[in-house]
Order: sequence, then structure tokens, then C-alpha cells
Amino acid sequence: MPEKNYRETSRRGGTLWLLQRVSAVVIFVLLMIHYVTYHFIGDGTITYDKITAKMASPWFNLTQILFLVTALFHGLNGIWMVTEDYIHQRAPRLLLASILIILGLLLLYGGTSTVLNAGYPGRVSQ
Amino acid sequence: MKESIIVKILRYQPEKDQKPHWQTYRLDVPADSTILDILNEIHWNHDGTLAYRRSCRSAICGSCAMKVNGQNVLACETPMHKFRGNRLKIEPLPGFPIIKDLVVDMDGFFDKLQRVKPYMVVDKPIPDKEFLQSPEEFSRIRESAYCILCGACTSSCPSLWANENYLGPAALLKAYRFIFDSRDDGTDERLDIINDRNGLWRCHTIFNCMEACPKHIDITGCISRLKNRVVDNSL
Repeated sequence: MPEKNYRETSRRGGTLWLLQRVSAVVIFVLLMIHYVTYHFIGDGTITYDKITAKMASPWFNLTQILFLVTALFHGLNGIWMVTEDYIHQRAPRLLLASILIILGLLLLYGGTSTVLNAGYPGRVSQ
Repeated sequence: MKESIIVKILRYQPEKDQKPHWQTYRLDVPADSTILDILNEIHWNHDGTLAYRRSCRSAICGSCAMKVNGQNVLACETPMHKFRGNRLKIEPLPGFPIIKDLVVDMDGFFDKLQRVKPYMVVDKPIPDKEFLQSPEEFSRIRESAYCILCGACTSSCPSLWANENYLGPAALLKAYRFIFDSRDDGTDERLDIINDRNGLWRCHTIFNCMEACPKHIDITGCISRLKNRVVDNSL
């Protein structure tokens, strides 16, 4: 019987594992910022105008984009880790990784353009 | 005092069975029986064809790990009263190929153990008497050295059920036992072996291994410390 292949090619397991934990901490902090700024600063009621006014601030937008990047990475990397348990052949793994990366980039583009465009005074509906 | 119990056992006789099937036994056994006592009662007085592994009946040889009412336990140290209702469901360890009845093929398990070099690797000169180790140094590996290699942990791991090439908790615990041993010099080599997608990184801290371990070893904690060690080394 041929020797079973316990060793595989990828050495990125450790990096992804660490990044998953780091992104979890970052998401927690950003989520708190998000939550507090939306729900507790001011009188706590959310209106479209208040949100768009807030989103005109570049600092606020920076936290939102960082939130988007880390949340996308954390979620898609989580899906990757789960599928790593079940999919062992090279070709389907490559296909899945490509789909996850492309999906991530598309969602990143969509989310970023929403964050950046929403704050412009011209887009605020009265 | 005797009690009436109903025992369902997953039987598989390779010479006549296509696949495993359940067989039910109704017995009167002493109330303080262990699972092993019950198996012995069946084997000696009711059905001599039942196959199972046993040796020390003192929870030290690691032969009689099996799944009872959904939990991986050592048959010899587990009283039947751990389970309520006088009904027992006994199966071989999950995740391993069945050879016959409750006897599973542990070859893959021991192959994986060999992978992590489960012995002292020494580069430094051998001292006249022995390698000295302080109580603090020993306390880091004491618990991990309690492992009796029964396979209950590895067999209970969902990551292993999904991927038969995963090293599994027992082999990783053995790696821990030597990596954190102050007398051993094989750390880098072993870290390199377990830093693999079929090694450390298939552990998702599910904690089944800790629930299954008859020696109550903090296996998940040890694997987590190994992960930290690998990441620390690569930073």
C-alpha cells in the first residue's frame, strides 16, 4: 500500500489562522464603533439624513471601509476553512479559492462605492 | 443485586455480514457492572462470537475504548449507571475501519503517531546519569504524558471524520508532549511536521477530544498552545 500523504503543499494554514483571529478582534472594535456612533451618539434615532451626513466624514468612512474589508475577509476565510475540511483535490480547491477571491473583490467594490458615494451632498435626498 | 438491562451492540462479522447491523441482548447483571463486565457476560455466557478488545481492566492499557450511548469511553472504567434507563447502545469507535464487531483497525492511528516522532530526539551530549528537569519544566508536559493512546479522542474528532488524513488530537498531543519537553531537541522538526493543512490547522477547537478523553487531558488547550508556538516562530 502506498504511504498515505499526510503532508500537503499549503503552508498558509498558520497565516490564515492568525489573520482570522486578528480580523475577529478588529471587527469587534469596529462593530462597537459602528454601534455606538449610530445608536448612542445624538438622540439615538436613525434617519437617512443623519446617516448621510455622518458618511460625509472621511474618518468615519475609513472605519466603515476597514470594517468592510475585515468582515469580508473574516467571512470568506471562514468559508474557505470549512471547505478545506471536505475538499481535498487540487482542482476543486483552486476553483473554490478563485470563486471566493472574485466574490470578495466584487463585494468589496460594491461596498466601497456605496460608502464613498453615500456621503456626497449631491446624493442626499431631501 | 441484579438488574435487567437491554444492550444493543453494533455487530459486524466480516465472514458473513455485508455491513454492520444491530443485535439486542437482554441480560440480568449486577447493578455495579461496568460496560466491560457486561461485554464479558455476553461473551462468556450468551454469545461467544462477540469480538472486542480488552486487557488490563484498569483504565491504563487503552484497549477497550468504544462508543457507548453516543460517547467514546473506556469500557473497563465506565459503570453502566453512568447511563440512565438500563438501555445501552454499544458501537465500535467511529472514524476507524471496523475489523470485527467492536474491534477497529488502529493502524492509521499509529501511523500518524509515528509521523510526529513520538520519542526523545537528543542532539546534546548525553550526561553521565540523567537529563535533569525542574518541577516547573515537568509540569508543562505532565498532563500530556498521561495519554494511554486509546484513540477515544481522535475517533471523536469531526475533523477526522471529514478528512482521514488529518493527524488527529492524539498525534498532536504526542507532538506537544515532546515539543514542550525541556530535554528534547526535535522541536523545529516536529513543528514543521504538524504545521500543515492536514495537521494543526484542521483543528477547529470543537472540544470533542476533551470530552472523550478518559484521562481528562486538556487536549484542545495543548493543540492551541502548539498553534501559538508555530505562529510565534513564523513571526
